[in-house]
Amino acid sequence: MASNNEEGALWSIMGYLISGLLIWGGIGFGLDHWLHTHHYFFLGGLLLGAGASIYLVWLRFGRQ
Amino acid sequence: MHGTLNLVGYGLSAIGPAIATGLIFAAYINGVARQPESRNVLQPIAFLGFALAEALALFGLVLAFVLK
Amino acid sequence: MHITGHLVASGPGFVPPSTSDFNLPSIVGHSAYTTKPVVAVFFSIILISVFFILASRKAAVVPGKLQFAGESIYGFVRKDLAQEIIGSGFLAYVPFLFTLFVFVLVNNLFGIIPFIQFPTMSHVSFPYVLAIFTFVIFHAIGIKKQGVVKYLKGIAFLPGVPKFAYILLTPIEIATYFLIRPVTLSLRLFANMFAGHLLLLVFIGGGDYMLHDTHLFMKILSPFSFGFGIVMTFFEFMVQCLQAYIITLLSALFIAGALVDEH
Repeated sequence: MASNNEEGALWSIMGYLISGLLIWGGIGFGLDHWLHTHHYFFLGGLLLGAGASIYLVWLRFGRQ
Repeated sequence: MHGTLNLVGYGLSAIGPAIATGLIFAAYINGVARQPESRNVLQPIAFLGFALAEALALFGLVLAFVLK
Repeated sequence: MHITGHLVASGPGFVPPSTSDFNLPSIVGHSAYTTKPVVAVFFSIILISVFFILASRKAAVVPGKLQFAGESIYGFVRKDLAQEIIGSGFLAYVPFLFTLFVFVLVNNLFGIIPFIQFPTMSHVSFPYVLAIFTFVIFHAIGIKKQGVVKYLKGIAFLPGVPKFAYILLTPIEIATYFLIRPVTLSLRLFANMFAGHLLLLVFIGGGDYMLHDTHLFMKILSPFSFGFGIVMTFFEFMVQCLQAYIITLLSALFIAGALVDEH
């Protein structure tokens, strides 16, 4: 990662976080809807998505 | 007046990540200003800290809209 | 001036500006194609074309005022955005970036230019179209440069990751590249312009309301609201230039990302 476009890196980090929460939270929301559970899969999906996207950010920007 | 208290709660919870992001970049800028060659070491750490703080803010946003 | 009519028509009590203030009536007839934003877009195209044709008509070694203005905008996009970010082979993408920058800049500045005073980009459909342009262009560049399979593989599968992590990461990567990037690109511009225009409506409309109020106290205080409206207008000028810069910067970054081989 070139150090001169930090601004672009910050925006793409935010994009990764949003899509991680959206995708895995959405899958959890769908499972809740399907199995008639109350928000358990949704919350789990959100945590999973946040974890996965932070891992992805580390892979893209954190590795030396 | 009508609306939902969820959004007030989200507004309050967004204060935390906002301060966190400010602190992270304040420290990062300080570090780079004192020692410009440390930029390559500090940059990934700053980005990861930013990602962690930002994840909490987005978490709050999603929960504010979904939880009833 | 629609805010004044709105307030007078609604009788006593301050009515804060809302999204309905963005649905302007058509200027000529009742067609949806002659509303203020659409007319402003066409006007901006004429304005930009005339300006740059005039600026580049008599290209001299020692530039005149007009040529200097045109060249400094072009030079800014070319040097500070395209060359800095894309690097070698940047020249092919300068026309697109330059057009994007100038178009967004002029349409944003319409928000504070007297008698127009409506930022076109505060209607979300215009930023959507711009984001679709960027989306198609940067994917097309990536596919042309690396081939379809290799390009998609570079997006979906990050190298150096244990196999089971792909289940978690691949949906996120695909969503980021094909959904989140164009959507955030357009929503960022839209939200800034929308909120800025709403802010100006609040202060100017509020000052107008206070001036026409029967209490003397409110009349005395109304200049503060107008004064803050003027301060916010200068702030808006800054935001409008910044947003035009940011959408061009991010487009350049996406193009640069499609060009580099990630392996």
